[in-house]
Amino acid sequence: MIKSIIFNSLQVIVVMVFSPLAMGVLNRLKENVQSKRGPSIFQPYLDLWKLFSKDEVVSNESTWIFRVTPYVVFVAPIFVTLLIPVLTAYPLFWAFMADMVGAGFILALGGFFSILAAVDTANPYGPMGSSRTRMVGFLAEPVFLIVFFTVSFVADSTIPYIVQQQWVHPMSNFFEPAHILLLIAFLMLILAEKGRLPVDNPSGHFELAMIDESKGLEYSGRAAALMKWGGWMKFFVLMNIFLNVLLTPWGLASTWAWGDVLIAIPLILLKIFGFIIFLVLIESSLAKLRLFRISEFMTAAFAIAVLAMMAGAFA
Amino acid sequence: MILIIMLLLPLITALVSGLFAQKRVNEIITVTGSSVLFVLAVWAAHAVLNAPQHILIALPGWIALGPAGAVILVLISLIALLSSIYSIGYMRYDTNSPRTFHVNFNLFVFALAAIPLSINLGMVWIAVEMTTLFSVLLVGFDNTPSALEAAWKYMVLTMMGAALALFGILLLYWGARHANMGAFTWSGLVTAAPSMPPVLITAAFIMLLVGLGTKIGLVPMHTWLPDAHSQAPTPVCALLSGIETTAVLYVLLRVLAVVHASNSVHASNWLLGFGLLSLGVPAFLLLQVKDYKRMLAFSTVEHMGIILIALGLGGSAANQAAFMQIIGHAVTKSFWFFAAGSVLLVTNTREIASVHGLIKRSPGAGIAMLTGGLAIAGAPPFILFFSEFSILKAGLLQSHYLVMGLTVSFIAVAFFAIMNHVSRMVFGGDPDRSGERLPGSVWLTLVLAIIPVIVLGLYIPDALHRLVELAATIIGG
Amino acid sequence: MSHLIPVIKSLNALTGGLFIITAFGVVAARQVRSGLKFFIFQSLCLASSAFLLGIAPFSPHLFAVGTINLVTKVWLLPWLLIRMMPRTTYTRREIKQVVNIPTSLMIALILTVFAYFVSLPWVHAMADNGVARINVPIGLAGMLIGAYTLTTRREAIPQVMGLLTMENSAFFAGVAIAPDLPVIAELSLAFDVLLFAFIVGLVTRSVHENTGGTFVGHLNDLREDPSK
Repeated sequence: MIKSIIFNSLQVIVVMVFSPLAMGVLNRLKENVQSKRGPSIFQPYLDLWKLFSKDEVVSNESTWIFRVTPYVVFVAPIFVTLLIPVLTAYPLFWAFMADMVGAGFILALGGFFSILAAVDTANPYGPMGSSRTRMVGFLAEPVFLIVFFTVSFVADSTIPYIVQQQWVHPMSNFFEPAHILLLIAFLMLILAEKGRLPVDNPSGHFELAMIDESKGLEYSGRAAALMKWGGWMKFFVLMNIFLNVLLTPWGLASTWAWGDVLIAIPLILLKIFGFIIFLVLIESSLAKLRLFRISEFMTAAFAIAVLAMMAGAFA
Repeated sequence: MILIIMLLLPLITALVSGLFAQKRVNEIITVTGSSVLFVLAVWAAHAVLNAPQHILIALPGWIALGPAGAVILVLISLIALLSSIYSIGYMRYDTNSPRTFHVNFNLFVFALAAIPLSINLGMVWIAVEMTTLFSVLLVGFDNTPSALEAAWKYMVLTMMGAALALFGILLLYWGARHANMGAFTWSGLVTAAPSMPPVLITAAFIMLLVGLGTKIGLVPMHTWLPDAHSQAPTPVCALLSGIETTAVLYVLLRVLAVVHASNSVHASNWLLGFGLLSLGVPAFLLLQVKDYKRMLAFSTVEHMGIILIALGLGGSAANQAAFMQIIGHAVTKSFWFFAAGSVLLVTNTREIASVHGLIKRSPGAGIAMLTGGLAIAGAPPFILFFSEFSILKAGLLQSHYLVMGLTVSFIAVAFFAIMNHVSRMVFGGDPDRSGERLPGSVWLTLVLAIIPVIVLGLYIPDALHRLVELAATIIGG
Repeated sequence: MSHLIPVIKSLNALTGGLFIITAFGVVAARQVRSGLKFFIFQSLCLASSAFLLGIAPFSPHLFAVGTINLVTKVWLLPWLLIRMMPRTTYTRREIKQVVNIPTSLMIALILTVFAYFVSLPWVHAMADNGVARINVPIGLAGMLIGAYTLTTRREAIPQVMGLLTMENSAFFAGVAIAPDLPVIAELSLAFDVLLFAFIVGLVTRSVHENTGGTFVGHLNDLREDPSK
């Protein structure tokens, strides 16, 4: 049991330590694709260091929500990390504390607070970004629900550790249409939820066109560092859910031996870097959608998710 | 053997007329081919009557001819012959390529003849599809924007129907395979039908009814029909309206035999519903129609509705009446189209409002138009009067009072509408100028075409009567 | 061979899933060219389903169907459609449609659910637990979606895409429920489709010459209009 707790904490450490690296690799690769040199892959760590050692400015008009939000945003992905398989294929100590719906709820809580905080400041861009985020969120929620329904239809469970085994036992399950359609729908969800192209341009610097980024504009110093780090961890966690729970459990440790668990860390990073290359390909080949086209994008995701559910329910 | 010759003959004429560019040569080839086809068809129909079990088999499982098919085949060849003669005079001043017209015309006749001759459902579907393919160029033959629009609508809608029908046929095959049927033919299906799941037969029947119904021109799917049947050159209209619809209806009829054979599926409400709709809607549209060729087209939809009602009633009396209605409609409608084409030749307009005093301007066209109108609307002593009367009688004997009441009132509305328009065209007002003479071949066609319309109303030859009786038994139910 | 059957079944199911997505794509495509791409991919799915079902139990008919599809619908027909149409048909522009895209997608979804509820009783009645369970509902759904596309699109090529989607869907069901339908029929069917494209090309070309566009929605002179 002690080992179980230790491994669970190890997962948290892995997520905390490597999420900036994943971001750095992503940014570097994107620049490389555009024939630029790009920043070092360790740039996010330097950014965090810089922000932590700076002073913080908080507006007099803001309330406690503004000050609490960075901590909520930072802690939410850590809680989710306890629930999902990051390193091991078997359930760890807190695995049964909540299922995928619970994990989605915790992640959404962070998003909810960041929206409130953006409205809380008097900055005109914050509320604008918040309302847009909410619009995307409203459209994304039914898709999330349908994805969970599908998972529960197919695997009879929404506990991530149980779901992940379903896709490869027997191997032919991997090619089930429910599985493939689910992957497509969830990928579209990740793009929308994390404000990647084609829904939002994460590297845009034009406040009027921002959706996701504009919410954190008012933060500085330590709070800004926590917000950014929390955001990266959320991205890392979502990638983990996609790769380990929905795609395959390959590369995860299957025994309780220390060696197995430690060797799982580079394997997971390899999987994530593979996924990042795929993401870079998507982002470099698509243009940002007009705001009102986002509803079409999300409807397509919804349609695919419903098809996945039907394929799962009727098969 | 004769069946294969009949199948190949239009193909050969198409090929030969493709070799020559001269109008005169093409006309001679087509008319000769159609006459030979007609003689062969009559001969084959006679052979069917005397054959064992009343069926001629050329290629087991693929090509055969039964009594119902023989009726349709004779009608196809008769109308093809009349149309080919008519086209000589009608297309006199046409500047488009005569070669294209004649090749397509013969290919169209080939596709039509393939429907009753093939008994494999896959082949039948291909034949139905081919009628669309070969007639679509004929519909758009005039190359005007509205002709092309009509051709486009015709093609898209009927192809859509064909896809649905294909699905229905595949479902039937599925069921038949399940029931261990030998060959995928009409008779094989009828044998297999009792051991097929009823829900599958119902589904297949509805798909075929809607799919083939698009091509027949049943009401919600009829929108292409008035356009195509009014824009095509008149000889083609006669084929489209007179026989293409009925040839496809024949396929539906064979499907109906399968449905009846399964005993646990009831198709009659579907048929009565579609029938009443297809009879009622065009009856009222006929009241306000502005173009007389469209009037003829709507009357086709209306007659398809009557035939469907007869089939929906079921029983051998109604089935025989349905066959008489099919024959009557084919000969009468083609005659009326020839008459309308003559009016078009004389007046050069398709608007009802600008045609007056035909009886003075061109007595031939006027009398033909009037006779055709009376005959198609169901006035005695023409054949359609008797067939509609027998449908009525069959319906009343089965105490379908509501259906029959509606049928009679719709027919009355249509009768009033048609006669209103026709009498205005023929008698109303004075002609603007004295008429042009109709070409000789047009005269010849009108005279030839009116013979069956009148004769069949007064006297039905014994052979035809027996053929219709036999044909009605294959529907069953 | 028999140990492959579960994998074949689920691979076939996967092509079914992708097939229905491409049907959705044809409904939602905003540009003519992307609609055509969806159609090509759809035909590819149909061909691979035919090949998969042809492996076990071995059926040369299905291999023939797959090959015919590959040659005609994946290669020849798109090539014809691109060759025969005026260049402007494929320029990057948005197709006008009667219903907006999210609503169309929702309607297509409803049609799919409807198709499942209608066709599963057939599968139960046939006691067929094989591939028909996947292919028949998807075929019916594709059929309905194709018909829907046909009614909401107003341009020539998108309408043809809807039509061909219907045809593809019929065959998608067909490869599962009629694997031994004589191949001569299949050949002629494919031939039919080709000939059909040829005629479509001819007709739309003349429509284009006569009205200056492939926007057949403008063609509405022929109808019952009391004011005329």
